[in-house]
Amino acid sequence: MTFAALGHILPELILLVGACVLLMLGVTRVGRIPGASAGATCGVCAAALAATLWAGIPDGMAELPGLSLSPMTFYVRWLTLLVGLLLILLNWRQADPAEQGEYLSLLLFTMLGVLLTASASDMVVLFFAIELVSVPTYVLVALSRRDARASEAAVKYFFLGALSAALLAYGLGFLYGAVGTTSLGAMARAIGSGAEIGGLALIGLLLVFGGLSFKIAAVPFHAYAADVYEGAAAPVTALLGFIPKFAGFVALIRVLDVFGWAMSPGVFWLIWGTAALTMTAGNVLGLLQRNVKRMLAYSSIAHSGYMLVALLVGPRLGDGPMSNGVTALLFYMAVYGVMNLGAFAALSSFRRGEDEVELVEDLSGLGRSQPGAALALSVCLFSLMGFPPTAGFLGKVYLFSGAFSVGEDHAYAGALTVLAVIGVLNSAVAAAYYLRVAAVCWVSSERERLTPASGMSGRLGLTIAAVAMIALFVSPGALLSKAHVASESPGASLERSATGRAAVDGGDLLRVADER
Amino acid sequence: MDLGLLKILGIVILLAPLGAAAVCGALGPRRLRDRTHWVSILGVGSAAVAALVLLLHVASHGSGEASTHGGTHAAVGATIPVYDWIPTGVAGGRAAGAVDEDGQVGDLSYQDKQVGDLLHQDGQVGDRSYQDKQVGDLLHQDRQVGDLPYRWFRVEFLVDPLTAIMLATVTCIALLIVIYSRDYMRHHDHAERGYERFFAYLALFVFSMCALVLGGNFLLLYLGWEAVGLCSYLLIGFYYGKPSAAAAAKKAFLVNRVGDFGFGLGILLIYLTFGTLSYADVFDMIARNVDATGAALETSKLTTIALLLFCGAAGKSAQIPLYVWLPDAMEGPSPVSALIHAATMVTAGVYMIARCGAIFVHSETAMLAVAVVGACTALFAATIALVQTDMKRILAYSTISQLGYMFLALGVYAADSAVFHLFTHAFFKALLFLGAGSVMHAMGGVIDVRQFGGLRRVLPKTCVLVVIGSLALAGFPMLSGFFSKDEILHHALHVHPVLGAMGLATAVLTAFYTFRMVFLAFAGPPRVPEGVHPHESGGWMIGPMSVLAVGAVLVGYLGVGFTGKPFHTFLEPVIANTFLAAGPNAAGAHAAGGEAVGHAASGGFLAEYGLMILSGGLSVLAILAAYVVYAKAPWMAATARATFPRAHDVLWNKYRVDEAYDRMIVQPLRSLGRVCFYLDEYLVDGIIWVISFVPQALGYGARGVQRGALQGYGLAMGVGLAIVVTVVLTW
Repeated sequence: MTFAALGHILPELILLVGACVLLMLGVTRVGRIPGASAGATCGVCAAALAATLWAGIPDGMAELPGLSLSPMTFYVRWLTLLVGLLLILLNWRQADPAEQGEYLSLLLFTMLGVLLTASASDMVVLFFAIELVSVPTYVLVALSRRDARASEAAVKYFFLGALSAALLAYGLGFLYGAVGTTSLGAMARAIGSGAEIGGLALIGLLLVFGGLSFKIAAVPFHAYAADVYEGAAAPVTALLGFIPKFAGFVALIRVLDVFGWAMSPGVFWLIWGTAALTMTAGNVLGLLQRNVKRMLAYSSIAHSGYMLVALLVGPRLGDGPMSNGVTALLFYMAVYGVMNLGAFAALSSFRRGEDEVELVEDLSGLGRSQPGAALALSVCLFSLMGFPPTAGFLGKVYLFSGAFSVGEDHAYAGALTVLAVIGVLNSAVAAAYYLRVAAVCWVSSERERLTPASGMSGRLGLTIAAVAMIALFVSPGALLSKAHVASESPGASLERSATGRAAVDGGDLLRVADER
Repeated sequence: MDLGLLKILGIVILLAPLGAAAVCGALGPRRLRDRTHWVSILGVGSAAVAALVLLLHVASHGSGEASTHGGTHAAVGATIPVYDWIPTGVAGGRAAGAVDEDGQVGDLSYQDKQVGDLLHQDGQVGDRSYQDKQVGDLLHQDRQVGDLPYRWFRVEFLVDPLTAIMLATVTCIALLIVIYSRDYMRHHDHAERGYERFFAYLALFVFSMCALVLGGNFLLLYLGWEAVGLCSYLLIGFYYGKPSAAAAAKKAFLVNRVGDFGFGLGILLIYLTFGTLSYADVFDMIARNVDATGAALETSKLTTIALLLFCGAAGKSAQIPLYVWLPDAMEGPSPVSALIHAATMVTAGVYMIARCGAIFVHSETAMLAVAVVGACTALFAATIALVQTDMKRILAYSTISQLGYMFLALGVYAADSAVFHLFTHAFFKALLFLGAGSVMHAMGGVIDVRQFGGLRRVLPKTCVLVVIGSLALAGFPMLSGFFSKDEILHHALHVHPVLGAMGLATAVLTAFYTFRMVFLAFAGPPRVPEGVHPHESGGWMIGPMSVLAVGAVLVGYLGVGFTGKPFHTFLEPVIANTFLAAGPNAAGAHAAGGEAVGHAASGGFLAEYGLMILSGGLSVLAILAAYVVYAKAPWMAATARATFPRAHDVLWNKYRVDEAYDRMIVQPLRSLGRVCFYLDEYLVDGIIWVISFVPQALGYGARGVQRGALQGYGLAMGVGLAIVVTVVLTW
């Protein structure tokens, strides 16, 4: 590894340095100037984004110990940073001004975790990256509001998160035990070399899937979501809907990549059942909620179920987004992140008296008192519902069409079709609770005066989210082609890190350490 | 033709009104208020200018040379891709079918697919790096090509003389009407409630209609089609506080849905048959007589497609049996009636059939259906118009009747005459509706001719303008309506004498009822509703009407000439390979070398001039008859009514079609709805209650430990995982 190689991880370095500086700035007087920390955070994020775009899609030579860069890294980087910018807009003001520095630096740390997840080529790095995503979110939940509910949510989130981290570590341990290496590339080679996937590796895979299921809130690891979403303030909830989920799916893609997407019947039916249960449970429970944030939490669970359908289809090289599951997944992740963020941005932009908007009825008459915000919220809700003319519609079409079009030669064509049908039915059921919120906004008369809460930044974030949903419907080509490039060869980077210089150079951290 | 210029013009035509609608909607209520009309005028005006430039460009460059750009001989005109919209699959791949013939991209993706297949069979991951490299190389090439090898639904324009004429008509008339609305939508210089909403909708409508006309494939056609339907709904229900307006809007929407359902099915069938929705590709494949799989087309399939498309046209253009929404649509403000329900939107069906001539002419059944429905609608609506007393409703039935003429023309292979009549009709019918609006404005919202009369002294300018419009509608010799209508009768009599005779009868009725309305409203001693202080409309309203009046007199001359009709010659390339080639005049047209198509065949000049004199004379006689009955000797009308009470009753009640629909369709559906409602209320909700009771009961049970049920969640995770591991390992 040379100094020049650091240039390849410039976005990550910018985030890291920026986060540390912010953390220290937070205790000084500078950090208390209203908007100073937030502005600086925006600057850091924008700089990282600029570095990402300047570097472009990494070529095969970008190798670092434990990291390997691929087209998917590029996609994850710019998407995370772009959505991150919107999240910073939403989190411009904190409950306690004195905590601005910590709060915003944690935001940057968790984004850094996502970026590293996408480029980790070693299971240790992958584990640390996932934890880097998780740990700051626990703290963010606690900091988001100054009341007991937030603390309770944070504690719950932390303990269950710790349990899932243990599962993940345990599973990675089994994998190490099965193949004797921590390098994902070497592992892929070992698993793909024709040897039967042994029981040990299978248990490892199951445990890893379990640990990551927590991140994406899939059944039976979903129960925390409603409590935590309800307890945290809306801007942080917007973050919880995107950052951990994105990291979880990226990690799942990478792990399934290691296994060459060749699924044994057990694994296939496991994911199949998880997907079906997750979307059904999410939607059925969502129907029962009166609290908007709990409802959106269940909607988030249901969306994980939809996305698992695409994960199950997997990458089908050379095919378009209509049949390449990973393209569809990456596309949908971007759309979901923004529309979910928009919904929470709308919720955080009003207060009912001193408190946040909680119940569906609290939004009564929003269409009359604040037509602009109500319109933006409705656009995001229609997008979540999967209705044209919003990007959510296209995203869902691609998610499910892959399962419909795998073709007769696919071993599980029938099962996938059934799963997609379950998904479509679920989308129809979900429309009921999204529409209820939209209807309350426009039809019911105002019950209680809602006062605007978020400043310009929050409204800007909301507007951008709503406009993006329409714009991505009108012209999805650019994003789709980026997702296509990112998913065309997700495994290629592993191969290179296994065969190339990196393997010698330190691709296998543990073994190097052992030798020492 | 300069494709770059056309593309820019097309984008301006679409985005200017759309932008205006957005600005009106966003800034209207708070900032612009009663200045909102300027935004709309600017947006629609820019579109109108762009449309005129486009028309001139197409006219000056001809469309013949452009056919090379279109790539096919079937679709004349230039297909201009704007951008790729929604990818539908991989070019040359499974989903693509055999349509795609461009080699390179297809080959690339074919290799991709091979690699993909290998990968999927694999297990042999050892080989993967090699394959990946291949994929990488391919990807690299793709990136160099600059585009992904997908098949797309494209956003594309089709620019040909038909498009150019339609765009110019729509935008120019819309501009005049937007200007007119400035005064119409305010009373005593106070903007009406919803002023900015009105202008936002008008601009949105112009955008939708332009998208419908400009779109280069069936998907965009469908989008525009639905969007104009939406705008129509919004504008009919503009006074949504009024129950009749809300009901009319709902009726229009629902009746149109019936037609649109067929239309949607037709488009789906086109996609299934041809594997593409692009006009150029579809028409080209029809010309080559192949479908997506390369097999020969079946006539029955084309007939089905054509009839389904016609179903949509009948809904949007208010033909039997789906015409019932249009008279009710008069609940909207008068400018809306003028713009949407007379001049532009309702002609979408005519445009669509003219555009899809390649499909229709392959099916004699469909053509006959179009002609018969058109002729019947024309006669039927004209008879109802005889006894109505609401000025706008008389005009509405007259619109239905005139649209019937256009369909008759399409059905007898005279698409150029249909479009010509569409063109002239747009002027005089917009003029008449704006005139009716002017009367309504002066009469304080009353439009029933029984409640006022003798307005020629009260509203002198409006009176003159309405008379001009009426003369044109009645087919008075040497005005625009005369030329276009006469042409249709000429072709119809030649192809289907019976239908032609029905058209001739309609012409007589048209002249009669039009002037019945004129004499009732403007002749005799002045009479106005109580409490109304009538005033002549101001320049904002009279100005646009005057322009339309000039148009109503003069535009007909674009379609006459001794050496060839300029309008028809201009339009000819569009329909030369479809309507003209398949029509009964085909041989004649070829013999005449394509020159003066309208004239060249079928009996020559003598027959046409004879018919001109006949129909002109009949129209003059009918006007005189109306004068005698309604202005000179009103007792005659009363006597006629007393002598044939039943006939009058039937006509007055519009043949009781609404009631019949209500009894045969609406009531049974309502009953079904009621059954479903009770099923839903008791059966489904019962089941839901039971289902939702379970989690709720669980919830109640768990409520005690819910707060702080961390251990419970952890247990669920652990147990779930244990089950999963056990199941998977023992599989």
